[in-house]
Amino acid sequence: MVVLVIVLALFFDFTNGFHDTANAMATPIATGAIKAKTAVALAAVLNLVGAFLSTEVAKTISGGIIREGGGGLAISPEMIFAGLMGAVVWNMLTWLLGLPSSSSHALFGGLIGAAIVGAGFGVINYDVVVSKVLLPAVLAPLIAGTVAFLSTRLAYRITTRKGAVANPKRGGFRYGQIFSSSLVALAHGTNDAQKTMGVITLVLVAAGTQPAGSGPLPWVIAACGLAIAIGTYTGGWRIIRTLGSGLTEVKPAQGFAAESSTASAILASSHLGFALSTTQVASGSVIGSGLGRKGAQVRWSTARRIAVGWVLTLPAAAVVGALAAAVAHLGPAGVIIDAVVGTLVIALMFLVSQRNRVSHDNAISGLDHAGEVVEIKRRKKKRKSEAQPEEKMAEQLMEAGE
Amino acid sequence: MSIDWLAFVLVAGATLAAAMVLVGTYGLGVRLLAVAADSAGARQRMVRASAFACFGVCAAAVLYGIYLIVPAFHS
Repeated sequence: MVVLVIVLALFFDFTNGFHDTANAMATPIATGAIKAKTAVALAAVLNLVGAFLSTEVAKTISGGIIREGGGGLAISPEMIFAGLMGAVVWNMLTWLLGLPSSSSHALFGGLIGAAIVGAGFGVINYDVVVSKVLLPAVLAPLIAGTVAFLSTRLAYRITTRKGAVANPKRGGFRYGQIFSSSLVALAHGTNDAQKTMGVITLVLVAAGTQPAGSGPLPWVIAACGLAIAIGTYTGGWRIIRTLGSGLTEVKPAQGFAAESSTASAILASSHLGFALSTTQVASGSVIGSGLGRKGAQVRWSTARRIAVGWVLTLPAAAVVGALAAAVAHLGPAGVIIDAVVGTLVIALMFLVSQRNRVSHDNAISGLDHAGEVVEIKRRKKKRKSEAQPEEKMAEQLMEAGE
Repeated sequence: MSIDWLAFVLVAGATLAAAMVLVGTYGLGVRLLAVAADSAGARQRMVRASAFACFGVCAAAVLYGIYLIVPAFHS
């Protein structure tokens, strides 16, 4: 059982990684500041480094949302297993739809669902749900969006020179993007890898293989770091496409402003104690920077889809978590059924994703690289033979927008 | 229910200040480099040097950010 939970936790870490590559790397890939493959490799390394830099482990799995321990619910490995199942399934589904959604909300949701099945609605601290999940979900994109809007304005104000001859040379922001996006990736590694470390450590403590109150074991740190790094390197190209070109067209100065806002918001929130979701901050930044640049358009239909995804994340993961928990309560056979069904669902989603592949070579088309025109032509020809109708439409839309 | 509005205002303010410093200094650097490219002689050197000074301030701000996220630096 413990092994099963650890495997699933590491898989959750993996989905977390590829879900969140986009937060750091969507905008630099979109502006051509970093090549797509280099970007995900960079993000992967920084996530790995980040995992080793910070190993502060949470004292409760759910951060106080579920009443754990004395007077509350005893957290069992089966419950954590069911919760993780909910989180993983929802992460895979949002990835398939190309929606950036918060992995931590998915985890909270899954655990809430599993806890309700295990001990009823009374074990949930609803005010903590509001203050830690609902409110930040509204405020994070608001803060990041406003700041990104203002800093995009600032970036263009500062670099606009009088006179028709003077060249503003805003391409210089591309180099800045490398650093600003790296900072986001590093911050993500320090934040998110330790979430899984915490889960695994608490399972080991519950199983009695590790004394209570001790930190994560070295192999746990290494495994979590690796899982998130591999996930990041695999790259959630669908989400990168949504954030990098689905919401608005990103220019270097604008991308730099968005990443700076994202990095600032994450650092400020994790150090001043008002936890904000990386994903929501990053999405808010991109929208804000799109509003800030003259001539840029924000596709509100995409923004609406993302918002709907956020609203659904917690309840949907909770429903899956609850179902998994209900089955797991049947005993060892139930857990096996859970594992098999979960694997099948994930495999199915992977198969569906293969029908319309999005990868580093086609995640974002129409980079503002003049030199790539030749290559793009070649790609289009290749794609026409095998392209799905949806992809063709996206391509035509993209071309019409250029 | 206790919502920590003070923390929220603090986070919003800090985010705004940090992003403005990063974008402001880097943007100024980019602009000064562009100005330097159009000028010549001693003036060019001076403008270019101040551009890199701006990048330096920006880099320092990023390093401070890294300092903040690594707990080992401030145990």
